[in-house]
Amino acid sequence: MMDPIVGLWGVEKVFGNGVRALAPVNLAVQPGEFISLIGPSGCGKSTLLKVIASIHAPSAGQVRWWGRDFAHVGSAGHRMAFVFQDPTLMPWACMEDNVRLPLDLERMPATTAGPLVRDALEQVGLGHVLRHYPAQLSGGMKMRASIARALVTQPDLLLMDEPFGALDEFSRNRLDEEMARLCYEKGLTTLFVTHSLYEAVFLSSRVIVMAANPGRIFGEYHIDPAIRRDETFRLSDDFAHMCRDLTQMLTEATHATFSGGA
Amino acid sequence: MNARHMARLTLIAPTLVGLCTLGVWEAACRLLSIPSYLFPAPSDIAASLHANWPMLLHALGSTLQVTLVSLLVSVALGTAIAVVLVQHKLLQVSFMPYVIILQVTPIAAVAPLIIVLVKTTGVALVLCSTLIAIFPVISNTLIGLGAVDPGLEAYFRMHKATRMQTLLRLRIPSALPMFMAGVRIASGLALVGAVVAEFVAGTGGNSAGLAYEILQSGFQMDIPRMFAALFLITVTGLVLHGGMTTIERLLLGRWMRPAT
Repeated sequence: MMDPIVGLWGVEKVFGNGVRALAPVNLAVQPGEFISLIGPSGCGKSTLLKVIASIHAPSAGQVRWWGRDFAHVGSAGHRMAFVFQDPTLMPWACMEDNVRLPLDLERMPATTAGPLVRDALEQVGLGHVLRHYPAQLSGGMKMRASIARALVTQPDLLLMDEPFGALDEFSRNRLDEEMARLCYEKGLTTLFVTHSLYEAVFLSSRVIVMAANPGRIFGEYHIDPAIRRDETFRLSDDFAHMCRDLTQMLTEATHATFSGGA
Repeated sequence: MNARHMARLTLIAPTLVGLCTLGVWEAACRLLSIPSYLFPAPSDIAASLHANWPMLLHALGSTLQVTLVSLLVSVALGTAIAVVLVQHKLLQVSFMPYVIILQVTPIAAVAPLIIVLVKTTGVALVLCSTLIAIFPVISNTLIGLGAVDPGLEAYFRMHKATRMQTLLRLRIPSALPMFMAGVRIASGLALVGAVVAEFVAGTGGNSAGLAYEILQSGFQMDIPRMFAALFLITVTGLVLHGGMTTIERLLLGRWMRPAT
């Protein structure tokens, strides 16, 4: 087994107001995995993702990235990108400038950054709106731009916090297919928070089911990564069967009581 | 109603209201035979404006000079103060009460003290005007610099952006709409401050402004000239407001519709 890209050992999170968002969590993310975090509201999915992104510091336990501390994240081969629930684009900047932001922050010369930015926008089908401002684009297009901003850094680990939650079913399905294509083709390690069980089954090679009060890992469900993620899979009996299994697991997670330490 | 039609209407409607008011005013003065030394008709004011134009133009220049210099000082100093205060909560807590004191103390009450303390009249006038115009710049810039999208802030933090990168790439652009609204308010207040300071200073001679013209007209019972000076102050205020709105639209128009 290869070294995990991210390893969590006994990670807990208690917020300043005393809310215990995460009970001790252990997790190892292996290279190339597409992991979805799913569970009822308040189960700490987003908190766990933000701890991994180092947006929140853990109250206890240890997080290691490529076996090292966060200071090493960002160097070649150890790049991490985060896609928020909202597009979080800069309204004053055009698409090209928005997508170039992470490269500008690491002071990459414009001549090097330019082709990368255009390539990332092409990958998400936004090559034709380079000079458009966020206010001129639809919700789906803004989300694509947000994904392009993550891809432009050529990340080794992609973290996504319910990125398509606000989109309609049709746009969500289309973006899910594009995401699956991008991640599986590149072998991009991805952690994906979602409320949608169908989305989790469609995208993931491993689904982690979480329980609430306090947030913790309840169980996990493995899906063959070799399955081609397309409309045929979505309409297959296998897909329906997996969704049924996961529904059952989620129901159990919803009613599970916590027996760990206080 | 489409946007173009609405834009045309926002120009035509107030013009019509203005013309109607002037018409009623003129008719009332003529029909009721109100003497011009009591309440002049618009035609009397226009005639006075024409007759006293060189003098009024000179006074307008003086008032405008004080207004623009104090507006520039307010914007530069106000922005610098806001950028410093936003760096630390303790700085904000320590200095904000004094910034608020600037706002709540009536300038008419402070102006005589400034006129006495500052020997150069021009500097005293600019100081009075700046004291009143600087508050909206500081206040709005502070709010703007603090009101950053939390998601974007987390994004910058995650990408290990430096303090300077966060200020230049995130905080300042985020603050621009609030900052511009502050500058727009400050432009009006700078004019108010300049006129109030001129009233208190009672400056005559070469640096006589529009307030001095109003005072002199009052002493001489030349009420049409008083109205003419008042008219010029109003027009100056409108032009300043229009100028600021245009700058705001040029700066923000591509990504945000400026407040009207």
